[in-house]
Amino acid sequence: MASALEHVAWETCLVDPQPDRALEAYARQKTGIPVPSIRYFTPVPWLARALIDLHPEYGLLLHLDQNVADLLTLIVSQENSCRFCYAVQRMLLWGQGMSEARIQRLEQELSAGLAPRTAAAIAFGRTQSRLGPAAARDACQALRRAGFGEEEMKEIAFTVAATDFLNRAYTIPAIPVRALERMPDQLLSWLLRPIINRIMERHRSRGQATPLERAPSYPYARLIERCAGLPSAPVLGRIIEEMWVSPHLTRRCKLLIFAVIARGLGCEVCAQEISKALEAEGLNEPMLARVLTHLDAPELDETERLLMRFARETIWFEPAALQRRARSLRDRLSVPQLIEVIGVTALSNGLCRMNAMVMDHS
Amino acid sequence: MTLIFAMVPAVVLAAVLAAALYHQWQRVRNLQRQLQAAAADLESLQNACARLAPAGVVQRLVADGIQLDAGPAAEGKVATALFVDLIGFTAMSERLEPEILLRIINGYYQRVSEAISEHRGHVGSFVGDGIVAYFGVIQPNPWQCDDAVHAALAIRASTRAYNAELAREGLPPIAIGIGIDRGPGFAGLMGSRERREYAFIGRPVNLAARLQALTRLHGVDILVSEALRTDLDPGFILTPMPAAAVKGFAEPMVTYAVEGRSADRERVAE
Repeated sequence: MASALEHVAWETCLVDPQPDRALEAYARQKTGIPVPSIRYFTPVPWLARALIDLHPEYGLLLHLDQNVADLLTLIVSQENSCRFCYAVQRMLLWGQGMSEARIQRLEQELSAGLAPRTAAAIAFGRTQSRLGPAAARDACQALRRAGFGEEEMKEIAFTVAATDFLNRAYTIPAIPVRALERMPDQLLSWLLRPIINRIMERHRSRGQATPLERAPSYPYARLIERCAGLPSAPVLGRIIEEMWVSPHLTRRCKLLIFAVIARGLGCEVCAQEISKALEAEGLNEPMLARVLTHLDAPELDETERLLMRFARETIWFEPAALQRRARSLRDRLSVPQLIEVIGVTALSNGLCRMNAMVMDHS
Repeated sequence: MTLIFAMVPAVVLAAVLAAALYHQWQRVRNLQRQLQAAAADLESLQNACARLAPAGVVQRLVADGIQLDAGPAAEGKVATALFVDLIGFTAMSERLEPEILLRIINGYYQRVSEAISEHRGHVGSFVGDGIVAYFGVIQPNPWQCDDAVHAALAIRASTRAYNAELAREGLPPIAIGIGIDRGPGFAGLMGSRERREYAFIGRPVNLAARLQALTRLHGVDILVSEALRTDLDPGFILTPMPAAAVKGFAEPMVTYAVEGRSADRERVAE
C-alpha cells in the first residue's frame, strides 16, 4: 500500500553508513530489533543514542496515552514530510493491528472518528508543525478545553518535539527510505507481523516518575527543570549535555545555531536563554543582534557563517531542497561535523518548539 | 478406514474455508487497489492545487475546509512584497508571433518563479507580464528583506542567462524592472464566494508595484524603498536615487537602486 508521502521528492543519501557494534547493540537492546539506520549516525555517538532514546514509546511517557502519542508521531511526521519517520510509524501502527483503512483515514486528515481529546492533540501537532511557537498559546488553550492536564500537555509538547527532532535528523541526510516503505507490501512482513509486534511490544513500556539527578546548568536548563518528575526530563537533559560537550563543533557555533532557530521561530523565551549563554562566550547583546539580523558579521568565522545560514533552512523546509542545501555543506565540513550539524539543528528545532509551549504557557 | 471417513469432511471443510478466505483476500486486495487509486487521484489534485496556491495553504484548506459563508479569513502580517515586470512587453507582443511570445514569457515566468522559491518567497500571482511575490507571508521570516533582495539579484542573473539563450535563437532580449517594499498588510484567502485566491494586500504591494514602474525613470532594474533599506544587510551595495513623485503617495520618495553585494560577503554567502 502506497504511503501518502511517496510523492515527496527525496534525494540520495548524503552520508555513508559506518558500523559500530556498541551503538548497534545499544539500539537492539532498547528496541528489540536491529536498527540499521543507526549506522548513518555513528560518527557522532550522542546523536546516534538520541535517535534511539528519544522515542516516547520506550518508557518516556507517564501521563499521555501511548496511542495518542503514536498518532501524534504519525501526523507530525506527515506534516514535516519526513518519509523515513512516517514509514517507520506507519509500520508500527500497522504492526500493532491498525488497519490500512484507518491509517489512510488519518493520512487524509479525517479525524471525525477519533475521540475529542485525540483529535485535539492531533490538531495541536499539526498547528505546531505549521506555525510553531507563534501559535502555541491558542494551541495550549485548545488542549485545556479538550480536558488535558498540565503534565499531559508537557508530554504532548515533548512528543511533538521529539518527532520534530527525529524528522529533521532523518530528513536532512536523506536516509534511504524505499525499502522501509515497501515492507507492508511484502509477504514476509505479513508473516512476521505478529512476531515483530510481540518483540516490540515487550520493549515498549510506560515511564515512571523520575527525579532529576542534579540541577542542569546548560541552556534550556529551565525547560528541563520545569519538566522535572516526567520520565522524559532526565533523558532529554542528558542528551542536551552530551550535545554540548561533543567536540566536532564549538560550543559557540552550536549556540549560534540555536539562536538562529529561536529567532526564526520567533521564540522570545528561547532567545533570551541562548543570548545569556552566548554572552558567556564573548558575544554581547548588540553584537548578537547584529549577527542574527543578517546571519552575518565580521565577528563570525567561516564555519559559523555557513552553519547559521544552514540552520535557518531547517526551520520550515521542503525535504529535497533542504537535502540539496545540506549536500553543499559536505565539501566544507568533515563527516562528523556534518552529522553533528544535523543533530544540533534537529535538536534545536525540537527544543525550541517545546520550550515555547512549556515555558511560556504552562 | 473410519479415520479416513472422518478426515474427508474435515479436508472438504478446510478447502471450503481456504477458498472463502482466498475470495475475501482477493476482495480486500481489489478494495485496496480502488482506495489506492482514489488516494492517488486526491494526491494529484492536491499537487495540481499546489500550483495555484502555496503548498502550505493548500494543506490548510484540505485540513480545515473552505467556509464559504465565513468571509475572507485574513490576518495581519508584516511581509515583503516584490513586483517584477517585463519592460517593453507591449512592443514585443506586436512584433512576435503569439507562439514565440508565449514561449518567451513562459520561460521568463519559470526563471523568476524559481529564483523566488530558491530564496524562500512565493509567487502570489501573475498579473499580465508582471509577477507579484511575497516573503514572510506563509510562515514567519525575520530575514525576509535580505531574502527578497537576494531573489531580485537572482532574477537579474537568470534574466541575463535567459537573454543569452534567446540571442542564440535569434530572438530579442527581455528587460525587467523590480520594485521591493516591506511593511504591514493582510494575508489570507480573498475574493468572491465563487472564486478566491490567497493574497497579501496592503501598502507594500502597492508601493512595490510603483517602485517597479519607477525603474524606467531612473534607468535601473531593481529599486527598494527606504523602509526596506533600513532592515537590509549592509553587505548589499545600494545607490540612492533622486527623490521622485510616486503615484498615490503625497511626498516625493527617495529610493535605492541595488547594485549587488560586496565581494567579501558574496564569498561566504552561498
